[in-house]
Amino acid sequence: MAEKVKLFVNGQEVEVEAGKNLIDAFGAIGIEIPHLCYHPALGADGNCRMCLVGIEDGRPPLVPACKTKVAEGMKVQLDAEKIKKIQRDIMELELINHPIDCPICDQAGECKLQDYYMKYDGQPSRMTVKPVLKAKKMDFGCGVVHDQERCVLCARCVRFTRLITKTGELGIVNRTDAARVNIFPGRPLNNRYALNVVDLCPVGAMTSRDFRFKQRAWFLTKSPSICHGCSKGCNIFIDHNREKYKDDVIYRYRPRLNEKVNGYFMCDEGRMTYKLENDNRLGTPRVNGREAGFDEAIESVRRAVSEAKKAVVLISPNASLEQMFAAQQFAAAINAPVSGYSDGYVKAGDGDDFLIKDDKSANRASFALLGIDDSKTAFEAALNGADLLLSFDNDLSRSLSGDALTQLLADTKLIMVASSQTDCVAKAAVAVPVASYSEDAGSLVNCDGRLQSYEVAVVKNQPAKSLIEVLHLCGGEIKSNQEARAGLQAAVAVLKDIDLEQIPAEGIALTESEVAHVAA
Amino acid sequence: MSGKVKIMERKGKDLYERLYLVEVFKGMAVTFGHFISNFLDNSKLYVRHYPEQKPEITARWRGRHRLTKHEDGTMKCVACFMCQTNCPAKCIMIEAGERVDGRTEKMPVRFDIDLLECIYCGYCVEACPMDAIRMDTGIFAVTGSDRQSFVMGLDALLATPGAFTEEEYKKGGA
Repeated sequence: MAEKVKLFVNGQEVEVEAGKNLIDAFGAIGIEIPHLCYHPALGADGNCRMCLVGIEDGRPPLVPACKTKVAEGMKVQLDAEKIKKIQRDIMELELINHPIDCPICDQAGECKLQDYYMKYDGQPSRMTVKPVLKAKKMDFGCGVVHDQERCVLCARCVRFTRLITKTGELGIVNRTDAARVNIFPGRPLNNRYALNVVDLCPVGAMTSRDFRFKQRAWFLTKSPSICHGCSKGCNIFIDHNREKYKDDVIYRYRPRLNEKVNGYFMCDEGRMTYKLENDNRLGTPRVNGREAGFDEAIESVRRAVSEAKKAVVLISPNASLEQMFAAQQFAAAINAPVSGYSDGYVKAGDGDDFLIKDDKSANRASFALLGIDDSKTAFEAALNGADLLLSFDNDLSRSLSGDALTQLLADTKLIMVASSQTDCVAKAAVAVPVASYSEDAGSLVNCDGRLQSYEVAVVKNQPAKSLIEVLHLCGGEIKSNQEARAGLQAAVAVLKDIDLEQIPAEGIALTESEVAHVAA
Repeated sequence: MSGKVKIMERKGKDLYERLYLVEVFKGMAVTFGHFISNFLDNSKLYVRHYPEQKPEITARWRGRHRLTKHEDGTMKCVACFMCQTNCPAKCIMIEAGERVDGRTEKMPVRFDIDLLECIYCGYCVEACPMDAIRMDTGIFAVTGSDRQSFVMGLDALLATPGAFTEEEYKKGGA
């Protein structure tokens, strides 16, 4: 438990966490101090002056809350008339040259200027001279669109490129009316985390080209989930919406705060993986190259399994812990060796020391937990003499070249249970569609051994069955995630004391100490 | 409650009225009098000759929608989705895209109003920050032979002119 201090806000005694600044400490107990430039990940800059508060202890009349640490017995004033006037005045100054083009601004609905205007300002403009016109719709590279007129010069984006990515592409040039956030001529944003400036920007000055004009922010349902782009397992919000007469579609991923995994950020590639959830999905089951009904496909899987002399089960490193366990149990029931061979999911040398990892699959760590071998030699040994390969969403065309795959399939029948349309699915004798991770729930273990869970986010008009349901229909014992979790607790020693139904938001590190801590 | 009570005199008690037929013929005389006079000259009729004669509609009447244009012919709509957000019948379906006519940045590429679902409440007009959608076409009867013909598209909405002058429309309380 963190240390607490007692202090007074507007004369009322409150207890907050020690060592934090006023914005964070009060924010945690639901008292908001307006701020534009401060961001917990970027530190206090103190340039926006929106967070000025009074402290009654002989200090200067006003101090910025972002730069002031909480202290025992401090008397903080938030609602005095002079502070309200400062907030009103700062807002008026911010809005002098603001274009107020909210109707065409993608930030509208999640814009701090809008929120603060309604809460702290609310007065009509007194400007009689024409506003200063600045550049709009500037291409900053990496899919970031900048609008200088909307900018409030909080320098969050500038500090992000200097402090977090250490690439420093952005800067503020000139002073006063002429001050602009800009790139150096011919040197656009060039880092793999650039789109974070879109989330960081408190106003609509930084917008994403990919999301541009796609949806208004208030239409989107924001469902928490875990990114499956790499083994880091960044926490995300899946922003999706079902338009009238249409299907539930994902429009963007945004990072979700998890201090233990990704902090406030995520990489650009991970952000764009939402497209894989929308496009190129396997819709209709296929049997021997022609479209078939779902029941027919399941029936042919069952027949193939019962007729096979030797079957091999191939599990995807993207499958959830529950799905892996269910597939493992299924394999044990039909006496088939299990492999997790998926070398193609690893992009050696691609990772960095921040969030991006080499391994582009979300749950390879669970292979070790369940004792599933993902080596090529084990896979080849298992395939020896096999006449049926059951792949559960493992896209072999990523790991094997086209020739090698064709050669493999010459004497082995391939059954794909897959969520998207791949080369491998095209070559499979039977293809059965399943729900992808945005439509399913489960648990993952990331590269650092942190167990996290995600829930169903997207519900399609015609939802595909989850992998566990498909396994059950094909003859597997396990019917649901709940059953799989009970089985996992019994089978895996590390998970014995963990309630897989209630994994905390920050996840659980699968090390002795923390497991003991959670169990206690 | 002590209200004023007025006792009505009951008529039709005397023999003349109880004979019935006399009164019937008196009534029929009135009816046929009107019939014959209207038959010979229908200019003094109390009813409107709809649909040949259209009713007069005030500028405040909420008729079929239209999308307005700037003086240079470009559409005023910027696809801010305010009308769609405010629509209680959820009959407006917009798709936004990059603007191509030289004004600002955003414009609708699709703007459909399903008139079968519309309840003509006028909330879209109230919500519009650009005065881009109005219900001043004076069209109050929309007909069609299939459902699809009731979905007004962007072009149809832009093509319909307003039925009133700007002064009349503004005087109507807009």
